Amino acid sequence: MERAMEQLNVQLNRLTRSLRRARTVELPEDNETAVYTLMPMVMADQHRSVSELLVNSKFDVNYAFGRVKRSLLHIAANCGSVECLVLLLKRGANPNYQDISGCTPLHLAARNGQKKCMGKLLEYSADVNICNNEGLTAIHWLAVNGRTELLHDLVQHVSNVDVEDAMGQTALHVACQNGHKTTVLCLLDSGADINRPNVSGATPLYFACSHGQRDTAQILLSRGAKYLADKNGVTPLDLCVQLRQVLEHLSQQSDSHYQRILISLAEVATTNGHKLLSLSSSYEAQMKSLLRIVRIFCHVFRLGPSSPNNGNDMGYNGNKTPRSQVFKPLELLWHSLDEWLVLISTELDRTRSDPPGSSPSSEIASLLLKQRDASLDQSAAPAASCDSAPSSTDTAPKLPPALDPQLVVMEAEACVDGEDVISMTANRLSAVIQAFYMCCSCQMPQGMTSPRFIEFVCKHDEVLKCFVTRNPKIIFNHFHFLLECPELMSRFMHIIKGQPFKDRCEWFYEHLLAGQPDSDMVHRPVNENDILLIHRDSIFRSSCEMVSKSTNEKLKQGIAVRFHGEEGMGQGVVREWFDILSSEIVNPDYALFTQSADGTTFQPNSNSSVNPDHLNYFRFAGQVLGLALYHRQLVNIYFTRSFYKHILGIPVNYQDVSSIDPEYAKNLQWILDNDISDLGLELSFSVETDVFGAMEEVPLKPGGTAILVTQDNKAEYVQLVTELRMTRAIQPQINAFLQGFHTFIPPSLIQLFDEYELELLLSGMPEIDVQDWYKNTEYTSGYDQHEPVIQWFWEVVHSLTQEERVLLLQFVTGSSRVPHGGFAFLMGGGGLQKFTIAAVPYTSNLLPTSSTCINMLKLPEYPSLDVLRDRLLVALHCGSYGYTMA
Amino acid sequence: DFLFKFLVIGSAGAGKSCLLHQFIENKFKQDSNHTIGVEFGSRVVNVGGKTVKLQIWDTAGQERFRSVTRSYYRGAAGALLVYDITSRETYNALTNWLTDARTLASPNIVIILCGNKKDLDADREVTFLEASRFAQENELIFLETSALTGENVEEGFLKCARTILNKIDSGELDPERMGSGIQYGDASLRQLRQPRNTATHNKQQCSC
Repeated sequence: MERAMEQLNVQLNRLTRSLRRARTVELPEDNETAVYTLMPMVMADQHRSVSELLVNSKFDVNYAFGRVKRSLLHIAANCGSVECLVLLLKRGANPNYQDISGCTPLHLAARNGQKKCMGKLLEYSADVNICNNEGLTAIHWLAVNGRTELLHDLVQHVSNVDVEDAMGQTALHVACQNGHKTTVLCLLDSGADINRPNVSGATPLYFACSHGQRDTAQILLSRGAKYLADKNGVTPLDLCVQLRQVLEHLSQQSDSHYQRILISLAEVATTNGHKLLSLSSSYEAQMKSLLRIVRIFCHVFRLGPSSPNNGNDMGYNGNKTPRSQVFKPLELLWHSLDEWLVLISTELDRTRSDPPGSSPSSEIASLLLKQRDASLDQSAAPAASCDSAPSSTDTAPKLPPALDPQLVVMEAEACVDGEDVISMTANRLSAVIQAFYMCCSCQMPQGMTSPRFIEFVCKHDEVLKCFVTRNPKIIFNHFHFLLECPELMSRFMHIIKGQPFKDRCEWFYEHLLAGQPDSDMVHRPVNENDILLIHRDSIFRSSCEMVSKSTNEKLKQGIAVRFHGEEGMGQGVVREWFDILSSEIVNPDYALFTQSADGTTFQPNSNSSVNPDHLNYFRFAGQVLGLALYHRQLVNIYFTRSFYKHILGIPVNYQDVSSIDPEYAKNLQWILDNDISDLGLELSFSVETDVFGAMEEVPLKPGGTAILVTQDNKAEYVQLVTELRMTRAIQPQINAFLQGFHTFIPPSLIQLFDEYELELLLSGMPEIDVQDWYKNTEYTSGYDQHEPVIQWFWEVVHSLTQEERVLLLQFVTGSSRVPHGGFAFLMGGGGLQKFTIAAVPYTSNLLPTSSTCINMLKLPEYPSLDVLRDRLLVALHCGSYGYTMA
Repeated sequence: DFLFKFLVIGSAGAGKSCLLHQFIENKFKQDSNHTIGVEFGSRVVNVGGKTVKLQIWDTAGQERFRSVTRSYYRGAAGALLVYDITSRETYNALTNWLTDARTLASPNIVIILCGNKKDLDADREVTFLEASRFAQENELIFLETSALTGENVEEGFLKCARTILNKIDSGELDPERMGSGIQYGDASLRQLRQPRNTATHNKQQCSC
């Protein structure tokens, strides 16, 4: 009874307690239900309740539940319920219990930054070195989130801060990726390995760079981090885009950083350069890495340290160490380069030394012998020199004793050897030369070539020429300096001109756009203000106005055109604009350009001054053409050969007169071809010109009216009169045009081309319809359509490339242009003039010739198709300029 | 921990490239040609508990490359001066090579004299005694090596590295100086870490 009463009381008591607290006061028997009863209390850190419930229960505190199998301790650590955490620990909860993902309560506390919980867990000897299934330790978790304060506590318990996760990454890697500066510092202070690679070889600096963490990279560098490559050989330096910013930023922080970064870059570059000069290294890889480092080096150098006031003080920075100090490590490389080139030059001399008979070769032979002495096995060399005297008298009595056959053989061997050295090193040396140029010019104001470099090129002129003659690709790959320095360019011009048009085009554009930062970013939002708004009905004037309002820089970056009242924009509209505008420029109403005799090509009008603003318009025309070329847009104008020459700065000759006045050109030709002594022409060095109806006597040179043209000075006369007709009369116009043209196209660059190629560049490669061509061709002086030679000719034309067909067309008609309506409308000096093929008696090696003013190809009667093809191609490739007048 | 710049010098045909090849590849290089200019090789070695990366420049022995190879001397920490024990000529040239190395590289450069082709004892023209006397007079470490069998090759390079390390420890060489041919690896960090260890120790005491 009493018992029953007691039990009732207990139950009653329990009930009241339970009702008063609004919760159960007794844990359910089974763990699964119990744990869900406790979990919300733990989460809210209701430690009294938890403690009360736990006191008399048989609940297993390490019971793992839920999907991820966590214990209550996990929950407490995760939520920061520190009182509950302590309670659970006191009741024997295992601090190192791992959930399904391998996380301990410590991991969770660290991840969520539960400082107190972490402290208590550590107190109850939680193991800091336990990795979860991804290999992450608590320290990684702190680093990910940059919880430096907690890290300070944690590292006291950590024996090794360089614990690696599954990827071999330490906490430092992680912290660097995320750019937690204080965390990085704390880890470094705790002895983290600054250059530690992860499984792919990436170091903390690598990560800082690849994630663009400037400040972190700064810290790492100031703590002595090195530019180590990952397993693919990619160094932090290669992570250019980010690194560039990082370095830029760093180097501007302070002078000492600036110096340090540059000097180490210079050291890296020097070692790289030396490796490049070792023949067993990989040329491609070393060359690229050298040039990349040097490029960054120069870039950072140019930026200069902190204060912008140093800008004009290139050599020195205040009264501290000279900035040029940073180039010092590189001097070693330049010295080696110089020695190499000297060596090559001696090799060249040796190669060039004549075969036996000339005196210098005997010296060289003996010199060679000495070297062989040193280089060959000891016993062999003296034997050779002893033998030399008797044997030479036997076999070659006329030769000096030292030049016996054996020696000649040895010399030949050395020659081959010499060639080898050159061919093996040319590319490598050229790459170093390029690096040298970059370093020289980054110390100079923009656009100036350093005297040191010019001196260098002059000194090694011969060797450099030898390099490019053997391997012209070097010019395009490494000798960019030529484009920036006209005086050096001229030395190599003949070699450059000998290269395929396509290669030169590529080089041209590569260099033209080199200064443009975002040249590869095609689609950029266009600023509304930068759109050229053009009126169709006054396209010339409105374009002129818009272009002159814009800046050259903006126009270089990109052109956006919209026609007034139209929606359309984009490349199509730009193309249309260039097309219409270029036809409008030669509109006779503006009197800027005149047609040439054949009616299809144009050149400046000598009387353009009727238009008072004409020079401005010429400058505008030059700008439009320059812009078109810059943006690879084609224009719808064909100029006279002589005007293309003017653009290129090539002197004109009397044959160019035929494009504006074919009859007169014939007369000049006649004067040159015949003896004029006894003709009584009574010509003086002057001409009469018609200036708007009034005749004026214009001397060709000072006092020219009084000098008679004779057989002896007729060539000079022809040249002067040509210049008068072609150049002097339109000099102001040419100058204005070029002024505009050169704002977009540097004169040194356009020099890469001849007048034929310039036409192709500006007006494009025309589509040539061979059928149409064939149908509209006439034959004369013995040929007809059925002649074998003619059939061969067309067979060859069919087999030509498009480019070669254009060359052929240029060769015969002087222009790459196919008239509207096709070949039927081909114009000559005197009106319609079809393409004509004339027979010429064949003599061996005779090449085809042409008369451009009557569109006539003079084709020798070749004996076979192969000969015809061969001669025609020679004429096209070599003879497209410098042809002789027939 | 460190990076040392090494040179291999000596007359043509003494076996410099073969020595380097043996050291790096552990193989004898058959049909080796004359070196053109300078070749490069590197290997990481462990010397006295320190890791040292050897950056080795193998120079051409032929006279015509002399001016080029000289330009590589500067800033070398160590050099292997190689001659051929079967060729007195290569031995006689040693003085010149030595002068070059001491004047162009650095007066403190550590030089190991290697009498190579030890395997061709039958054709020997230079005795061990004579060469070791020469080495003593010129303060060189002397070894006879064979690139063919690999005998003493490793030792040559390692001895050179060890000597440099000793000189660094004794303060005779200063890696900080430019052009010393020595660069720190992560050694600087190790030094930073040492005092840290004691700190960790203290903490461990209190946590227990």
